[in-house]
Amino acid sequence: MKNILKIALLSLLLSSVTYAKNHVVDQRGKTFIPHKISVEVGDTITFKNSDDFAHNVYTDDEENEFDVGMQAAGTSSTITVKAEGKFIVECAIHPNMILEVTATEE
Amino acid sequence: MHKLFLLLLLGVTLFATEKDLVLGKQIFEKTCISCHAKDGSASTDVHLVVMPRSLKISILDEEQSYQIIKKGARYWGSTSDIMPSFESIYDEHELRSVAHYIAQTFNPNAKKRVNKLYNESEPIALNKIKKMDKRGKKIYKRNCSWCHGVTAQGDGDATHNPEKSIYPYNLTKTLLDEKQIFLYAKYGGKFFGTAKDDMPHWSRKYDDFTLKSVAKYIVKEFKKEKN
Repeated sequence: MKNILKIALLSLLLSSVTYAKNHVVDQRGKTFIPHKISVEVGDTITFKNSDDFAHNVYTDDEENEFDVGMQAAGTSSTITVKAEGKFIVECAIHPNMILEVTATEE
Repeated sequence: MHKLFLLLLLGVTLFATEKDLVLGKQIFEKTCISCHAKDGSASTDVHLVVMPRSLKISILDEEQSYQIIKKGARYWGSTSDIMPSFESIYDEHELRSVAHYIAQTFNPNAKKRVNKLYNESEPIALNKIKKMDKRGKKIYKRNCSWCHGVTAQGDGDATHNPEKSIYPYNLTKTLLDEKQIFLYAKYGGKFFGTAKDDMPHWSRKYDDFTLKSVAKYIVKEFKKEKN
Protein backbone atom coordinates (compact mmCIF):
# COMPACT_ATOMS: atom_id res chain seq x y z
CA MET A 1 0.00 0.00 0.00
CA LYS A 2 2.86 2.33 0.95
CA ASN A 3 4.55 1.64 -2.36
CA ILE A 4 1.42 2.42 -4.30
CA LEU A 5 1.14 5.73 -2.47
CA LYS A 6 4.78 6.54 -3.26
CA ILE A 7 4.30 5.79 -6.93
CA ALA A 8 1.13 7.87 -7.05
CA LEU A 9 2.92 10.79 -5.37
CA LEU A 10 5.85 10.54 -7.75
CA SER A 11 3.51 10.44 -10.77
CA LEU A 12 1.75 13.53 -9.47
CA LEU A 13 5.05 15.36 -9.06
CA LEU A 14 6.26 14.37 -12.50
CA SER A 15 3.02 15.41 -14.14
CA SER A 16 3.34 18.89 -12.65
CA VAL A 17 6.85 19.38 -14.06
CA THR A 18 6.87 21.37 -17.27
CA TYR A 19 9.71 20.68 -19.62
CA ALA A 20 11.53 23.40 -21.55
CA LYS A 21 10.53 23.47 -25.17
CA ASN A 22 12.73 23.89 -28.18
CA HIS A 23 11.52 26.31 -30.85
CA VAL A 24 12.97 26.02 -34.33
CA VAL A 25 13.44 29.19 -36.36
CA ASP A 26 14.61 28.79 -39.93
CA GLN A 27 16.70 31.30 -41.85
CA ARG A 28 15.71 31.06 -45.47
CA GLY A 29 15.87 33.67 -48.22
CA LYS A 30 17.34 36.18 -45.74
CA THR A 31 14.19 35.89 -43.60
CA PHE A 32 13.46 34.38 -40.20
CA ILE A 33 10.66 31.83 -40.49
CA PRO A 34 8.55 32.37 -38.47
CA HIS A 35 9.32 36.03 -37.82
CA LYS A 36 7.49 36.13 -34.44
CA ILE A 37 7.58 33.57 -31.66
CA SER A 38 6.33 33.27 -28.10
CA VAL A 39 8.50 31.32 -25.67
CA GLU A 40 8.88 30.70 -21.99
CA VAL A 41 11.96 31.49 -19.96
CA GLY A 42 14.17 28.41 -20.03
CA ASP A 43 13.01 27.37 -23.49
CA THR A 44 15.59 27.02 -26.23
CA ILE A 45 15.54 28.42 -29.74
CA THR A 46 17.35 26.60 -32.52
CA PHE A 47 18.34 28.77 -35.46
CA LYS A 48 18.69 26.74 -38.66
CA ASN A 49 20.50 28.23 -41.61
CA SER A 50 18.82 26.94 -44.77
CA ASP A 51 20.41 29.57 -46.99
CA ASP A 52 23.52 28.81 -49.00
CA PHE A 53 25.43 31.63 -47.33
CA ALA A 54 26.36 32.61 -43.79
CA HIS A 55 24.31 34.38 -41.15
CA ASN A 56 25.16 35.87 -37.77
CA VAL A 57 22.24 35.78 -35.35
CA TYR A 58 22.41 38.05 -32.31
CA THR A 59 20.42 40.27 -30.01
CA ASP A 60 21.44 43.37 -28.14
CA ASP A 61 18.72 42.81 -25.54
CA GLU A 62 20.44 43.33 -22.21
CA GLU A 63 18.94 40.37 -20.37
CA ASN A 64 18.90 37.88 -23.22
CA GLU A 65 22.06 39.02 -24.96
CA PHE A 66 23.63 36.43 -27.26
CA ASP A 67 25.64 36.22 -30.46
CA VAL A 68 26.00 32.84 -32.12
CA GLY A 69 28.91 34.02 -34.27
CA MET A 70 29.24 33.11 -37.90
CA GLN A 71 26.76 30.44 -38.83
CA ALA A 72 27.73 28.64 -42.02
CA ALA A 73 25.19 27.44 -44.56
CA GLY A 74 23.35 24.29 -43.46
CA THR A 75 24.27 24.55 -39.77
CA SER A 76 22.20 25.18 -36.64
CA SER A 77 22.81 27.00 -33.37
CA THR A 78 20.76 26.85 -30.18
CA ILE A 79 20.37 29.44 -27.44
CA THR A 80 18.46 29.43 -24.15
CA VAL A 81 16.00 32.19 -23.26
CA LYS A 82 17.15 33.70 -19.99
CA ALA A 83 14.67 36.41 -19.09
CA GLU A 84 11.12 37.48 -19.79
CA GLY A 85 10.27 40.38 -22.05
CA LYS A 86 10.05 41.26 -25.71
CA PHE A 87 13.21 41.44 -27.73
CA ILE A 88 14.42 41.59 -31.30
CA VAL A 89 16.82 39.08 -32.84
CA GLU A 90 18.73 40.19 -35.93
CA CYS A 91 21.38 39.06 -38.39
CA ALA A 92 24.51 41.22 -38.46
CA ILE A 93 25.02 40.52 -42.16
CA HIS A 94 21.46 40.97 -43.45
CA PRO A 95 19.78 44.00 -41.89
CA ASN A 96 16.27 43.13 -43.05
CA MET A 97 16.16 39.94 -41.00
CA ILE A 98 14.13 40.57 -37.86
CA LEU A 99 12.68 38.08 -35.39
CA GLU A 100 10.39 39.27 -32.58
CA VAL A 101 10.59 37.12 -29.48
CA THR A 102 8.10 37.38 -26.61
CA ALA A 103 9.33 35.55 -23.54
CA THR A 104 7.13 34.92 -20.49
CA GLU A 105 7.72 33.25 -17.15
CA GLU A 106 6.25 29.74 -17.12
CA MET B 1 37.98 87.78 -83.05
CA HIS B 2 37.76 86.49 -79.54
CA LYS B 3 34.17 85.27 -80.13
CA LEU B 4 35.15 83.59 -83.37
CA PHE B 5 37.89 81.67 -81.57
CA LEU B 6 35.48 80.51 -78.89
CA LEU B 7 32.94 79.37 -81.48
CA LEU B 8 35.64 77.48 -83.35
CA LEU B 9 36.79 75.82 -80.13
CA LEU B 10 33.22 74.85 -79.28
CA GLY B 11 32.74 73.40 -82.77
CA VAL B 12 35.92 71.34 -82.54
CA THR B 13 34.97 70.08 -79.08
CA LEU B 14 31.45 69.08 -80.15
CA PHE B 15 32.82 67.36 -83.23
CA ALA B 16 35.36 65.46 -81.13
CA THR B 17 32.67 64.46 -78.63
CA GLU B 18 30.41 63.24 -81.44
CA LYS B 19 33.23 61.22 -82.97
CA ASP B 20 34.10 59.73 -79.57
CA LEU B 21 30.49 58.72 -79.07
CA VAL B 22 30.43 56.90 -82.40
CA LEU B 23 33.69 55.12 -81.61
CA GLY B 24 32.51 54.35 -78.08
CA LYS B 25 29.25 52.92 -79.40
CA GLN B 26 31.11 50.67 -81.83
CA ILE B 27 33.34 49.31 -79.09
CA PHE B 28 30.45 48.93 -76.66
CA GLU B 29 28.39 46.98 -79.17
CA LYS B 30 31.33 44.79 -80.10
CA THR B 31 32.61 44.08 -76.61
CA CYS B 32 30.21 44.96 -73.80
CA ILE B 33 26.66 44.05 -74.83
CA SER B 34 26.99 40.32 -74.23
CA CYS B 35 27.03 41.07 -70.50
CA HIS B 36 25.64 44.59 -70.10
CA ALA B 37 23.03 44.39 -72.93
CA LYS B 38 22.58 46.87 -75.74
CA ASP B 39 20.64 49.28 -73.55
CA GLY B 40 23.08 48.96 -70.64
CA SER B 41 20.47 47.32 -68.39
CA ALA B 42 22.42 44.02 -68.07
CA SER B 43 19.22 42.16 -68.99
CA THR B 44 20.84 39.30 -70.87
CA ASP B 45 20.74 35.52 -70.79
CA VAL B 46 24.25 35.18 -69.41
CA HIS B 47 24.62 33.32 -66.14
CA LEU B 48 27.81 34.20 -64.35
CA VAL B 49 28.92 33.75 -60.77
CA VAL B 50 28.72 37.49 -60.35
CA MET B 51 26.10 38.98 -62.61
CA PRO B 52 26.90 42.14 -64.59
CA ARG B 53 25.65 45.49 -63.36
CA SER B 54 23.08 47.70 -64.96
CA LEU B 55 24.93 50.71 -66.31
CA LYS B 56 21.77 52.79 -66.24
CA ILE B 57 21.78 53.32 -62.49
CA SER B 58 25.47 52.86 -61.70
CA ILE B 59 27.00 54.98 -58.95
CA LEU B 60 30.15 55.50 -61.02
CA ASP B 61 30.92 58.69 -62.90
CA GLU B 62 32.60 58.72 -66.32
CA GLU B 63 36.14 58.84 -64.97
CA GLN B 64 35.48 55.93 -62.60
CA SER B 65 33.89 53.87 -65.40
CA TYR B 66 36.96 54.54 -67.52
CA GLN B 67 39.20 53.29 -64.71
CA ILE B 68 37.16 50.10 -64.32
CA ILE B 69 37.17 49.42 -68.07
CA LYS B 70 40.87 50.07 -68.30
CA LYS B 71 42.14 48.12 -65.30
CA GLY B 72 39.28 45.68 -64.68
CA ALA B 73 37.19 45.42 -61.55
CA ARG B 74 39.64 43.30 -59.55
CA TYR B 75 42.22 46.09 -59.66
CA TRP B 76 39.66 48.31 -57.96
CA GLY B 77 38.67 45.83 -55.28
CA SER B 78 36.33 43.26 -56.83
CA THR B 79 37.06 39.75 -55.59
CA SER B 80 35.90 38.21 -58.87
CA ASP B 81 37.30 38.51 -62.38
CA ILE B 82 34.00 38.88 -64.18
CA MET B 83 34.76 42.42 -65.37
CA PRO B 84 38.18 42.10 -67.04
CA SER B 85 40.78 44.71 -67.91
CA PHE B 86 40.68 46.07 -71.47
CA GLU B 87 43.90 48.06 -71.47
CA SER B 88 45.72 45.44 -73.53
CA ILE B 89 42.95 45.41 -76.14
CA TYR B 90 42.09 49.08 -76.62
CA ASP B 91 44.22 52.19 -76.63
CA GLU B 92 43.71 55.17 -74.37
CA HIS B 93 41.46 57.02 -76.79
CA GLU B 94 39.26 53.97 -77.34
CA LEU B 95 38.95 53.33 -73.60
CA ARG B 96 38.00 56.96 -73.01
CA SER B 97 35.49 56.82 -75.86
CA VAL B 98 33.64 53.79 -74.57
CA ALA B 99 33.50 55.25 -71.04
CA HIS B 100 32.17 58.47 -72.57
CA TYR B 101 29.54 56.60 -74.59
CA ILE B 102 28.38 54.65 -71.51
CA ALA B 103 28.18 57.76 -69.36
CA GLN B 104 26.42 59.89 -71.97
CA THR B 105 24.04 57.24 -73.24
CA PHE B 106 22.96 55.28 -70.20
CA ASN B 107 23.61 57.37 -67.13
CA PRO B 108 24.23 61.02 -68.00
CA ASN B 109 23.04 62.22 -64.59
CA ALA B 110 25.10 59.86 -62.43
CA LYS B 111 26.97 62.64 -60.63
CA LYS B 112 23.85 64.76 -60.20
CA ARG B 113 22.00 61.76 -58.78
CA VAL B 114 24.77 61.05 -56.28
CA ASN B 115 24.89 64.69 -55.22
CA LYS B 116 21.12 64.90 -54.91
CA LEU B 117 20.93 61.79 -52.74
CA TYR B 118 23.76 63.04 -50.58
CA ASN B 119 22.21 66.48 -50.19
CA GLU B 120 18.98 64.85 -49.06
CA SER B 121 20.79 62.99 -46.27
CA GLU B 122 20.95 64.19 -42.69
CA PRO B 123 23.93 66.53 -42.15
CA ILE B 124 26.26 65.69 -39.28
CA ALA B 125 25.66 67.94 -36.29
CA LEU B 126 28.81 69.72 -35.13
CA ASN B 127 28.64 68.17 -31.67
CA LYS B 128 28.60 64.67 -33.20
CA ILE B 129 31.64 64.96 -35.47
CA LYS B 130 33.97 63.80 -32.71
CA LYS B 131 31.90 60.69 -32.17
CA MET B 132 32.15 59.54 -35.79
CA ASP B 133 35.41 57.58 -35.51
CA LYS B 134 34.23 55.46 -32.60
CA ARG B 135 30.80 54.85 -34.11
CA GLY B 136 32.22 54.00 -37.55
CA LYS B 137 34.71 51.54 -36.11
CA LYS B 138 32.09 49.83 -33.94
CA ILE B 139 29.57 49.34 -36.74
CA TYR B 140 32.22 48.30 -39.27
CA LYS B 141 33.35 45.57 -36.90
CA ARG B 142 29.80 44.59 -35.95
CA ASN B 143 28.32 44.35 -39.44
CA CYS B 144 30.67 45.05 -42.35
CA SER B 145 33.62 42.91 -41.32
CA TRP B 146 31.63 39.67 -41.72
CA CYS B 147 31.86 40.09 -45.48
CA HIS B 148 34.51 42.75 -46.12
CA GLY B 149 36.90 41.40 -43.50
CA VAL B 150 38.55 42.89 -40.44
CA THR B 151 41.15 44.61 -42.62
CA ALA B 152 38.63 45.29 -45.42
CA GLN B 153 40.29 42.99 -47.95
CA GLY B 154 36.97 41.39 -48.94
CA ASP B 155 37.84 38.20 -47.08
CA GLY B 156 35.48 38.18 -44.10
CA ASP B 157 34.33 34.97 -42.43
CA ALA B 158 31.08 34.94 -44.41
CA THR B 159 33.02 34.50 -47.66
CA HIS B 160 34.33 31.15 -46.49
CA ASN B 161 31.24 29.17 -47.41
CA PRO B 162 31.34 26.07 -49.59
CA GLU B 163 29.07 27.68 -52.18
CA LYS B 164 31.36 30.73 -52.48
CA SER B 165 28.22 32.67 -53.26
CA ILE B 166 29.34 36.15 -52.26
CA TYR B 167 32.14 38.36 -53.56
CA PRO B 168 32.47 41.38 -51.30
CA TYR B 169 34.71 44.24 -52.38
CA ASN B 170 38.20 44.75 -51.09
CA LEU B 171 37.63 48.23 -49.73
CA THR B 172 41.33 49.08 -49.58
CA LYS B 173 41.19 49.32 -53.38
CA THR B 174 37.80 50.89 -53.93
CA LEU B 175 37.31 53.67 -56.45
CA LEU B 176 34.38 55.07 -54.53
CA ASP B 177 34.84 58.22 -52.50
CA GLU B 178 33.46 58.72 -49.00
CA LYS B 179 30.19 60.17 -50.25
CA GLN B 180 29.62 57.23 -52.60
CA ILE B 181 30.52 54.67 -49.92
CA PHE B 182 27.94 56.25 -47.61
CA LEU B 183 25.25 56.11 -50.32
CA TYR B 184 26.15 52.55 -51.26
CA ALA B 185 25.81 51.48 -47.62
CA LYS B 186 22.58 53.41 -47.21
CA TYR B 187 20.78 52.25 -50.35
CA GLY B 188 22.57 48.95 -51.09
CA GLY B 189 24.05 47.51 -54.25
CA LYS B 190 20.80 46.80 -56.09
CA PHE B 191 19.83 50.45 -56.00
CA PHE B 192 23.00 51.16 -57.95
CA GLY B 193 22.67 48.36 -60.48
CA THR B 194 23.89 45.07 -59.03
CA ALA B 195 21.79 42.04 -59.89
CA LYS B 196 21.70 40.66 -56.33
CA ASP B 197 21.36 42.38 -52.98
CA ASP B 198 24.45 40.83 -51.41
CA MET B 199 25.35 44.35 -50.33
CA PRO B 200 22.10 45.18 -48.52
CA HIS B 201 20.70 48.61 -47.78
CA TRP B 202 21.40 49.52 -44.19
CA SER B 203 19.02 52.45 -43.92
CA ARG B 204 16.41 50.35 -42.12
CA LYS B 205 18.82 49.70 -39.30
CA TYR B 206 21.09 52.72 -39.13
CA ASP B 207 20.67 56.47 -39.43
CA ASP B 208 22.70 58.71 -41.73
CA PHE B 209 25.08 59.68 -38.93
CA THR B 210 26.02 56.05 -38.39
CA LEU B 211 26.42 55.24 -42.07
CA LYS B 212 28.46 58.40 -42.70
CA SER B 213 30.64 57.41 -39.76
CA VAL B 214 31.23 53.99 -41.32
CA ALA B 215 32.10 55.54 -44.70
CA LYS B 216 34.51 57.93 -43.01
CA TYR B 217 36.09 55.08 -41.07
CA ILE B 218 36.55 52.97 -44.21
CA VAL B 219 38.24 55.80 -46.11
CA LYS B 220 40.41 56.85 -43.19
CA GLU B 221 41.38 53.40 -42.00
CA PHE B 222 41.54 51.27 -45.13
CA LYS B 223 41.36 53.04 -48.46
CA LYS B 224 44.68 53.37 -50.22
CA GLU B 225 44.88 56.07 -52.84
CA LYS B 226 46.08 54.91 -56.25
CA ASN B 227 47.30 57.05 -59.04
